[in-house]
Amino acid sequence: MLKYTIRRLLLLIPTMFFVAVIVFFLAHAAPGSPFDAKAVGDKQLPLATILRLERLYGVDKPVHEQFILYLENLARFDFGNSFRSGRPVSDIIGDGFPVSAQLGIQALLVAIAFALPLGVVSALKQNSAVDYGSLFFATVGTTIPSFVLGIFAIYIFGVAFHMFPFVGWSTPAHWVLPTVILALGPMAFLTRITRASMLEAIRQDYVRTARAKGLREQVVIVAHVMKNAMIPVATIVGPATAGLITGSIIIEGLFSIPGIGRLFLQSILGRDYPLIMAVYLLYALLISLANLSVDLVYGVLDPRIKVAK
Amino acid sequence: MATATTAQERSAELNVLVRKQRSLWQDAWYRLRRNHAAVAGMVIVVLFMVIALIVPLLTDWKIINDPINRQDTAHNLMEPFWVNSPYRYPDYPLGSDQLGRDILTRLLWSTRISMLVGFVPVSIIFLMGVSIGLVAGYNGGWIDQLLMRITDVIYAFPDLLFLFIIMATLRNTAVGDIQGGLLLIFVAIAIVNWVGLARLVRGQVLSLKEREFVEAARSIGAPATRIMTRHLFPNLLAPVIVSVAFGIPNAMLAEATLSFFGIGIKPPTPSWGVMINEGFTVFSTSAWPVLLPALCISVVMLAFTFLGDGLRDALDPRMKA
Repeated sequence: MLKYTIRRLLLLIPTMFFVAVIVFFLAHAAPGSPFDAKAVGDKQLPLATILRLERLYGVDKPVHEQFILYLENLARFDFGNSFRSGRPVSDIIGDGFPVSAQLGIQALLVAIAFALPLGVVSALKQNSAVDYGSLFFATVGTTIPSFVLGIFAIYIFGVAFHMFPFVGWSTPAHWVLPTVILALGPMAFLTRITRASMLEAIRQDYVRTARAKGLREQVVIVAHVMKNAMIPVATIVGPATAGLITGSIIIEGLFSIPGIGRLFLQSILGRDYPLIMAVYLLYALLISLANLSVDLVYGVLDPRIKVAK
Repeated sequence: MATATTAQERSAELNVLVRKQRSLWQDAWYRLRRNHAAVAGMVIVVLFMVIALIVPLLTDWKIINDPINRQDTAHNLMEPFWVNSPYRYPDYPLGSDQLGRDILTRLLWSTRISMLVGFVPVSIIFLMGVSIGLVAGYNGGWIDQLLMRITDVIYAFPDLLFLFIIMATLRNTAVGDIQGGLLLIFVAIAIVNWVGLARLVRGQVLSLKEREFVEAARSIGAPATRIMTRHLFPNLLAPVIVSVAFGIPNAMLAEATLSFFGIGIKPPTPSWGVMINEGFTVFSTSAWPVLLPALCISVVMLAFTFLGDGLRDALDPRMKA
């Protein structure tokens, strides 16, 4: 197990390297200078100023030289300075990360807190009104994109009824709409998986045995059905986390939340290369770790599944 | 005794019931037709496809306004006809946006963009994914190795992030200007998504090629291309169709998301994402220019999902969730 974990962690290095290669060369392949009016979103700077800025940030060198230089700095954990604000990228990421992490963790908790009971109840009362209701919710939640749901939520709860503010992240009231909207997708997904997995577990022989030996229904459901039904559910939490990471980009853009997702959008639109690289590497690392954790958790939860040696 | 020739006569003779012979595809079609949600989804999809095809005709017949980008600042931010408000204008049944452009006209033209974005990249993905997946699965070798390595990297790279960097880089080039950026979106979506289908096909081929019918074909000397096209391809078509059915709304969603963040379709070309993006600045005072395209996206997404779910259940009842 330990050997497997170490090997998977080592495999992250080539993966991250390729992500860096792809993003670096794609970003630098854009025509024009990162200090053009289009990227800066302001008046066109004089040519002399652009050339001086390019020399200052080393953008005038050949791309492969820039890449090698970037890797050398990266090895010293130096992510460079932002082209736009001049601040070190690590500081900017450090400011945004707690906000994004809070949003993501809140959304994950909300998703789990609602999805598990909903999935369990709809499986226990299969084909009832509750079941159809939760299936409908699960379909809508996985089908309609989060930015569209977010727009409807802003309209209903923000514009029409003034229940929650919807711009920024300053007070707990600001947290409600973005958290719930970000949670809806994984919530719907988890509800579906919980229901399907409960329905499968309920029909197993060991459940019939438990009933046959006269256990109370609650004990059968909690100790025998749910305990086994949670295995597939637990493995879904990893991909759900990965989904939350990309979903947060959209939600942060929609609700103007000062997290990594909005930094990502700004850096992409403003061609802020050091920031683009740092954000992409961070996202790729988080998603790879989420995927890795799934494989590890699988092996621990279900001894029938052997992780490859 | 006369020889019984037809199935009915034979069955009468043997006193058994014989069902009319139906192929796998007829069976699937029968199951699909009995699924109400799937049929509703199909009807809506067809409706949007028809709209996409006849939008230019609607303009010619003066049913909708022309041109799409006619600005009428005297009548901007008009309300739709069902809103009881003095700010209505009979020329604009669904109202107008902040530049005074007719929302109905722009919604209908956007349907065309969405349908194109749904179907064109998916066709490219289908061709690339199936051919590369077949060769990689059947022959193995370097193509297979390369495919697996590409997948490793792509899996650490969420689709949306990949799309963003491709669009951000290329949208200000000559390619990015063709048809308001439509061509670039086709290519970007195809590049990001073909790997998943190729993996699916490869997996199917790996299990199918060990089966007896492939061995039989090989033993009578059928060449590899014939085995791939005539024996493997029809047998892996069912999961591929399901994957493609879900690929279409995914592609539409990708376009809408990119356009919403201002790096998809280039204004003034209308698309639902562009309309939401442009209307969002006045959203808190005038919501319909944003709500209506958002509603269109929701309806199309639901329709394709119902159809996709129905196809999955119809083509392979074992896959039923």
